[in-house]
Amino acid sequence: MPLVSALAASHAPNILLEPGAEWEDFMNLHYSMAPQGSAPRPTLEQQKKLRQDAEAAFAALRADLEQARADVLIVVANDQFVNFFLNNIPTFFVTLADEVKGQFTRHTFRYRNHKELGLAIVRAGMDKGIDFSFGEHIELQHTQNVPLYFLLPEPTIPILPIYVNTWVDPAPTPRRCYQVGELIREVALQSSERVAILATGGLSHFPGSPRIGEIDTQFDHKLLEVMRRGQGPSLADYSVEELLQAGDSEFLNWMVVVGCVGAAKATYTSYMPDFVATGWGFVSWKL
Amino acid sequence: MSCYHLSRLLFDLKMNESSYQRALTDFEGVMGEYELSTDEKNALRSGDPRKLRQLGVHGMLCLYIKRLNPEFRNNVYWAQK
Repeated sequence: MPLVSALAASHAPNILLEPGAEWEDFMNLHYSMAPQGSAPRPTLEQQKKLRQDAEAAFAALRADLEQARADVLIVVANDQFVNFFLNNIPTFFVTLADEVKGQFTRHTFRYRNHKELGLAIVRAGMDKGIDFSFGEHIELQHTQNVPLYFLLPEPTIPILPIYVNTWVDPAPTPRRCYQVGELIREVALQSSERVAILATGGLSHFPGSPRIGEIDTQFDHKLLEVMRRGQGPSLADYSVEELLQAGDSEFLNWMVVVGCVGAAKATYTSYMPDFVATGWGFVSWKL
Repeated sequence: MSCYHLSRLLFDLKMNESSYQRALTDFEGVMGEYELSTDEKNALRSGDPRKLRQLGVHGMLCLYIKRLNPEFRNNVYWAQK
């Protein structure tokens, strides 16, 4: 059956942190890397407005997901030194666990994992020359939990976490991520179940860098415009370096979903820079 | 030059509660459990993530040194992964 829904959304922790003291904590820690730490920061009212805008964007994506009546949600995200460390960094990893769990401050998350779909993707990859890493245990982290809090707050369907290494150099090329998306689309087509997919991360941000606080909104808007026009395949022409320069390394997660949808036009986009670290982006493709 | 062991210590400060608790009271002892150069130990003692980054550590791991700083010990960042 063809994919029934494709989504992409930022996973910035401050989307789910409470405006006020928790945002201050977040800013204080991240800005210890850079002199911009003394720059003006968003007021409490601005923080609340950003949260409201993000909730509205997530509500639009959730409506599309629910309308699609998906049986499973694939979640494409990057690990950030929770499951993988420098002794072994998988470029692409498929979760073959029975269930997956995680925590974010006072929020807990627990979902069934669609192991069978994961195995089908791993096997299809081996047939087509994409050799995924795989494993039977992962811990969910903010890269999944933040969007899932808004999009799938009740574990009504299983998920399938797939990881892309966007975090440790060298990262895969946008074209390779696009090819992974094409493969997932083929596997979904062979499935009798209704498969939806979500990419998380981005958009422009520079965590752990002296450039923290910079947001390349111009580049982000260009990416969103290309997706609205249905020119997603052209995004595979970007180099990793071009994405890194714009702070868009996590767009590699999105490239997997772009590979799934090909030339379909994004039917919903929303964008808001948080004036702290990240350009928050939200996209849905009604398929 | 790899800074794997330096990176591992920083990783453990966030992800290994036992390592973190011991580091609060005996950071020199904890540092002795890793293969670290003098420069790496001095950067750790400084508590400055920017000095760790200059040694090649991933930027986000650098921030983990702040968990030993009294001003940051209760930061909400440590309550999420």
